[in-house]
This record gives sequence, C-alpha cells and structure tokens, in this order.
Amino acid sequence: MSLTVVKRRGGGVRLRPYVSLARMMARSLLTHRLNFVLGLFAVLFQLVAMLSVWGVLLRSGTSIAGFSWPQMKAYLLIAYATGSLLSFTDFRLAFRIRDGMVAVDLTKPVDFQRSRFAEAVGTGSVEGGFAVLVCAVVVAFTLPVAVPAPAQGALFAASLLLVLPLKFCLSYLTSMVCFWTQNVLGVALTRFAVTNLFSGALVPLVLLPGWLQGIAAVLPFASITYTPASIYLGRATGGAAWQLIGVQAAWVLALWWGSRLAWRRAVRQLTVHGG
Amino acid sequence: MRSSLSGVFGTIAGMALVEANGLTKVFRRPAKEPGLRGAVKHLAVRSFTEKVAVDSVDLSVEAGEAVAYVGPNGAGKSTTVKLLCGILVPTAGEVRVGGVVPHRDRVANARQIGVLFGQRTQLWWDLPVRESLGLLRDMYGLDERTYRARLERFDDVLELGELLPVVARKLSLGQRMRADLAAALLHAPRVVYLDEPTIGLDISVKDRVRAFLRELRADGTTLLLTTHDLGDIEDVCQRLVIIDNGRIIYDGPIGGVTERFARERSVHLQLADPVSLAAVAAVLPTVEVRAGDGPGEFSVRFDRFEVPAGRVISAVSQVSEVVDLRIDEPAIEDVVRKVYAGELRLTP
Repeated sequence: MSLTVVKRRGGGVRLRPYVSLARMMARSLLTHRLNFVLGLFAVLFQLVAMLSVWGVLLRSGTSIAGFSWPQMKAYLLIAYATGSLLSFTDFRLAFRIRDGMVAVDLTKPVDFQRSRFAEAVGTGSVEGGFAVLVCAVVVAFTLPVAVPAPAQGALFAASLLLVLPLKFCLSYLTSMVCFWTQNVLGVALTRFAVTNLFSGALVPLVLLPGWLQGIAAVLPFASITYTPASIYLGRATGGAAWQLIGVQAAWVLALWWGSRLAWRRAVRQLTVHGG
Repeated sequence: MRSSLSGVFGTIAGMALVEANGLTKVFRRPAKEPGLRGAVKHLAVRSFTEKVAVDSVDLSVEAGEAVAYVGPNGAGKSTTVKLLCGILVPTAGEVRVGGVVPHRDRVANARQIGVLFGQRTQLWWDLPVRESLGLLRDMYGLDERTYRARLERFDDVLELGELLPVVARKLSLGQRMRADLAAALLHAPRVVYLDEPTIGLDISVKDRVRAFLRELRADGTTLLLTTHDLGDIEDVCQRLVIIDNGRIIYDGPIGGVTERFARERSVHLQLADPVSLAAVAAVLPTVEVRAGDGPGEFSVRFDRFEVPAGRVISAVSQVSEVVDLRIDEPAIEDVVRKVYAGELRLTP
C-alpha cells in the first residue's frame, strides 16, 4: 500500500478538501433544522420589528432621508439577509478553541484559516438560502418593494458576494479572543451589537448623528449592510459604487491577512488540557 | 506498506524518524486573584504562573519502532504528542518528524502522521461515519480505489462496515473508537500517535484493536502509544518511555524494565500438610508469608535480588513437602504502578 502523495498542481490550492468541508458543514447544519431556525430567530425578529416601525413612519407616503417605504423595505430585507449570515450564532470555532477540539483540526493537512472559511461558506449557503426564502415571503406580502436597474443589480450582486468573506474574517478574528479569554458569549454578543449598529442594520447610517457616522466610516462594518443596500437602492451608482466595492474588497484582504498574523500569535497561546 | 513519502522527505542521515532534543513546553497562566478586584488588578499588574509541562525531553524513535509512552495524569504525555504533531509550539528545544519541523510546517507534517486522541473524536457528530471518512479522503487526496481498499481492510479488522451508515453521535464508545481509528489511519501515515486508543473498550474490542496495531507495526508503521492500559504496552510495544513531571525517567526495552525493576516475586505453594502460618513464617524470617484459601496453601512474596526462589522452596520443605507451586511472572504493570505511586525511582 503506497501513500498517495498529494500533488499540488502548479503550487495552487487544492480545492477538493475545502469544497468537501463546506458541504459537510451545510449538511451538518441541515440535520439540526430546528436549532438552526431558532438561532436565526433573533435576526428575524429584528426584521419584523423594523418593518412595523418604519411602516408606521413611511406608509403614508412620506420619505425620510430619501428613503420611501418601498425603498426602506428593500433596505430592511438586505439588512436582514446580510445580518443573518454568520451572525452571533456562529460559535463553532470559539467552542472548538475552548474545548480543545481545535487540536484535532490542527492535525489535518489543510490550511486552518481556509478550512474555517470553507466551513463558513457551507454555513452561509444554508443561512443565505433561508434568508432568500424569508425575503421572498415578505416581498410577496408587502409589495411594492424597490427593484434596481439590471446594471445596478449586477453591482449589487458583486457587493453581496464580498459580505460573506468579510463577516467570516470578523467572526474568525473575534473567535480567536477565546485563546486568551474563555468568555465566548460576551465576545460574540459584543460583535453582534457593534456589527448591528455600525453596519447600518439597525438604522441606515445616514440617519445616525455625524460623529457616529464618522466612526462608522473608518470601520469595516458598513461594508456588510450599508454598502450593498446603497448600491441596490441606487444611492451609489457607477464609479461611486465601484469605489464602495473596492473598499469592501480592501477590508476583506486586510482582515484576511490580519487574521493570519493574529492566528500566528494566538496559536502560541494554545493550551490544550488533557486528552 | 512502506509509504512512498519516506522517499520524498527522506530521513536525514543519522537522524531518527522522530527526533526531539531538549524539547520543552512551558504553559503560562494568568495568576489572577479571585473576584472582580483580582481581574482589575490583573489588568494593571500582570502576573503569571508558569507550568513546565514538558521539561527538556530527548526522544528519538526509529522508523518501525513501537513505543509506549506512559506516565501519570499530567505528566506531559499529551503535551509531548501535541508538540510532535505541530499543534503546540515548543518553548525551547528542537523537534523533527521525518525531517519536518512540525510547528513550522504543520501541513507537511500532518500528511505523514496519523493521530488519535482517545478522548476527542474527529468524526462529525451529526453525520454518518461514512461522510467523515469521505471528508478525510478529500483532505488527504486519496483516489477512490485506494480509499475503497483501505475501507475494506478496516472492515476486516475493525468491522467498520456496520458503522459506516451510523450517525456518529449514536455510536457507543467502542464503536466510536473503531471508527476514529479508521479515520486516523485512512491515509496510511508512517508515524502514528495514539493517545489512549483502548480507553473504555470491552475486552473483545480491545483485543481486536491491539491485533490491528500489531499488524500496523508489522507493516513498518512507527507507533507512539500513550496509554494507561498496561496490556496495550506489553501486547504492542517493544520499547517503554516513562515520563513523570515532564521529564523522561526511563527509556529502554520493555523486557529490561521488568528484569531490572520488578524485583518482587510471588510464589504460591501447596504443601502436603495443613501446617500453621506461624510454622511457615518461622522458616522464612525475612519475607512476607500469607495463608492461602485452602489448608496448606501459602503465598510468599520476596525480593528476588535478596532471596533466591530456590532458598524459599528449600526452607519451606523443612516444614512440609511442597506438592505444587506457581510463580507469578513479573509484570510491567507493577513497575509502572510503583513509578506512578512514587515508590520507585528509575535511573536507567
């Protein structure tokens, strides 16, 4: 029996392990449908609350800061969908670090960060599918909802694709805090609260006081919700939209490599007790 | 079943397959006083307690060796294994496995090693065992034919077939261990670390696992076994390394240990006459004599370096004729147990 040496064609990344991981993660999530749906409930609840509040304000035909009711509905749905991806239910890595299961992950011949990203893609595809379902239902019952022009729609799709890697990096970075502190829940809830506010999921960023907008502008969170929503609604078009997508991509790259650096430090901190 | 990897990485001339020199791991833990005040104080004055888990360990394992790595809880066994896996970064010292520095090139190292942490499963809890193994096939880049052949082989020894469709969370401990063993060995690694591979298994499964490990060894796989089960050690390994408080206190052949350190012998005697215990004890003043269950049955425990067995028999013969006798084989078990209990200091 000879061991098959894994050949890396042209030094590229072997995709098979990561595709397989993503699929395993998605399948694993789907076996716990109830758990999973309950986990998304908090985000769903926020959607319902927001729709009610903004409905009262805008249904009469007025608009606030340029948002009409159909536009606000679209905004809230995008906020919901982007908010439900890897939200504060994303404890997997944190728990594995705390329980020492990360030791098992580290015996595998795959890049750690890419593996976790593959898992996030698996999780995100299930969460995304569920969000699309919810959006379809809401749209069907609350027409009309703003629809973008085709070109704008394509820009929106590009922007939306960057949301998952961005949220992954933020989740991955905060999970690493578990190497120093055992407090998983506190860290995750803080991340959720900060993301909720500064991404524009709670209130569109234009409605925040100037100083909060200033803070939001230098943080990566706006790229999660406010950027794709602004592109969808045509508040940023053409070059301005591309610029926003560029900012998103820059954040993804910076956080991806930042995570690598952080991991290198964090793993030195690793203490696995027993077994 | 020699892995072709040995050709790729090669073993650097004069270097063992697994080589650790002065390997040391110090864990630093924040020393916080209890309560909020302690936590706040810790922010200002950071103080730490240090625990030396592995203390300048020198270990070299040749290809094909089967080594039992034993020691009491917290002795540093698992930490050593994690250093060899590249999971932990050593505080000091050097380590190489097949020429690879594990913590520096973790992925390359991971391809040549197989790891079983007896207390942690690598199976996906919510999915059938088959899926977990399929993921490993993809991770190690095994082709379908090799994968099937290996599964078949595991089915022979571990009866894996019946476990494949079962969701991991529904497996019993013994079943889980069999599936985990398959998972650890699927890619035919040339170095295998097994951490408590038979813990909690019933006798028949244990025997099967041991037979499998012997087979692996016969194939030329290098084994490092940490275990509390002395049966594992005697059945599978030829070499024993005992670690205590992070330091290696014995490293040598298993036979050697029993010869040198199992000084105690027990002889069970059946005498022709139902003589009294006192009468037997009188002719054996320096050794411990105990009455057995029936009349004329006695057990004698003695240090074989101080009292030769022959002298015990001839002394007892003065009291009564010895009808039957049985000598307990010295067991590695006794030696290790004494080391654990701190009764025995080994200086090889």
